Amino acid sequence: MGEVELSCRAYVKMYLHACLFPRCSINGLLLSSSPTGGAVCVTDCVPLLHSHLPLAPITQLALTQVDVWCSQTQQRIVGYYQANACVSDNSPTPCALKIADKIAEQFDNAVLLMLDGSKMSPDYRVPPIVMYERKDSRWILKDKHTIMLRQWEETRAIASQMMESGDHTLLVDFDSHLDDITKDWTNQKLNTKIEELASPANGNI
Amino acid sequence: MCVMVLMSQIASARPVKMPERFESTLEKRVVECYRSEEMRDKLRKWREDNCRNSEQIVDVGEELISEHASKLGDDIWIIYEQVMIAALDCSRDDLALTCLQELRKQFPDSHRVKRLTGMRLEALERYDEANKHYDAILQDDPTNTAARKRKISILKAQGKSTEAIRELNEYLEQFVGDQEAWHELSELYINEHDYGKAAFCLEELMMINPHNHLYCEQYAEVKYTQGGLENLELSRKYFAQALRLNNRNMRALFGLYMSASHIAASPKVSAKVKKDNMKYAAWAATQINRAYKLAGRGTKENKCSMKTVEEMLESMQITMS
Repeated sequence: MGEVELSCRAYVKMYLHACLFPRCSINGLLLSSSPTGGAVCVTDCVPLLHSHLPLAPITQLALTQVDVWCSQTQQRIVGYYQANACVSDNSPTPCALKIADKIAEQFDNAVLLMLDGSKMSPDYRVPPIVMYERKDSRWILKDKHTIMLRQWEETRAIASQMMESGDHTLLVDFDSHLDDITKDWTNQKLNTKIEELASPANGNI
Repeated sequence: MCVMVLMSQIASARPVKMPERFESTLEKRVVECYRSEEMRDKLRKWREDNCRNSEQIVDVGEELISEHASKLGDDIWIIYEQVMIAALDCSRDDLALTCLQELRKQFPDSHRVKRLTGMRLEALERYDEANKHYDAILQDDPTNTAARKRKISILKAQGKSTEAIRELNEYLEQFVGDQEAWHELSELYINEHDYGKAAFCLEELMMINPHNHLYCEQYAEVKYTQGGLENLELSRKYFAQALRLNNRNMRALFGLYMSASHIAASPKVSAKVKKDNMKYAAWAATQINRAYKLAGRGTKENKCSMKTVEEMLESMQITMS
């Protein structure tokens, strides 16, 4: 199918989300602010849960709120990501497939991204992600060559640096927001930090 | 106490300029005394609250053990245990082994220490060896619940959910009041999408602990997920109960709003039920808006959440009527 591009901001936030809750399964939504047609550019992500992923109420609530926020900010939900607590198993769970299906109803080229925990050691060289796309009502593995991460080395460095300096503790997912609603699940502060670290020469991050 | 004595001595003495070297040693001792007390208190609080903030425990614990061990008295053993477990959680096998070795020296035949040995093997993914240790404990003492729970944790770590569930059920037949075990079982069932059985576990938990708002709220979430009118009504009731126990539980508030809205929108309900649920939903919506207004005061970034929630509530009301 089509090409998918993953931005630095989206990758770093997903990575930090997984680092913040290393003992839990985590999930979130992938967003795009680019116009439709051509490659799918994942420009941002919203971390959602780190507990009770298969339960419906909070997931429904989060999907609705993110939907509303997207329409206010000219973005759209284009995919879903998840990292399993069990590091040796990175296959999509039934709830991952369900949520991804729902997203695919609204966006044809939706992607399902699984973070591979076993490949996230400090010296990892390749992006620890596995992507799936929808074909004939099934989710199949996406050809690696259609997945792009521009400036991968820089992105990887930013992610490691932020984790080492403890910035992952600044990340707010929807679960944390519900524990304290003064926290911002759009993570504006973190976005700013990521932008500061990315080189000014970098075009669209 | 040592701080107070020093202060009174200094206050009553005539102001005499002390040699600099003496001053700084005194200061250092005072600061160290205070600091080790502070660290000890932190570790105690985390033990009592059963927090899993392993990185912090390792930070504080490592310093306490290496620099203030002499001041800890008998507390040192329980601190070794706490730091060892936290170290395993952070892949700090060096620190874990140090703590374990001290504990082994002091308590050579202890089952409690044997269990820690097993846990270290688990962390190194040497599950068969770990199981041997736990089996040895259970051979000696069949009622040792800690060893049984570790065996179940190994099944979970290996992804053997069905076996873990079976073993946990057997365990609970014997130890019916074990809240931790019931909660673990409910989580396992939720991950297997067996919501009926998860609900049963949460019902047991609510019976044991009727004032815990989190159990009510989780039960309500499971019921909501099961779906169907009857389950939705139950979920609404339990979201409401969770709110009665803790009126700041936002999940319960949103849950109440969503379940009431769905019931009101259902074509199968009577006019009265529809009207009642619209009332509940409207009440919940007001509370939600109020909570977000309070939260949003002063900070620019929270205005975003407030607006999002307002719009979301409005859009859901339209689908309801």
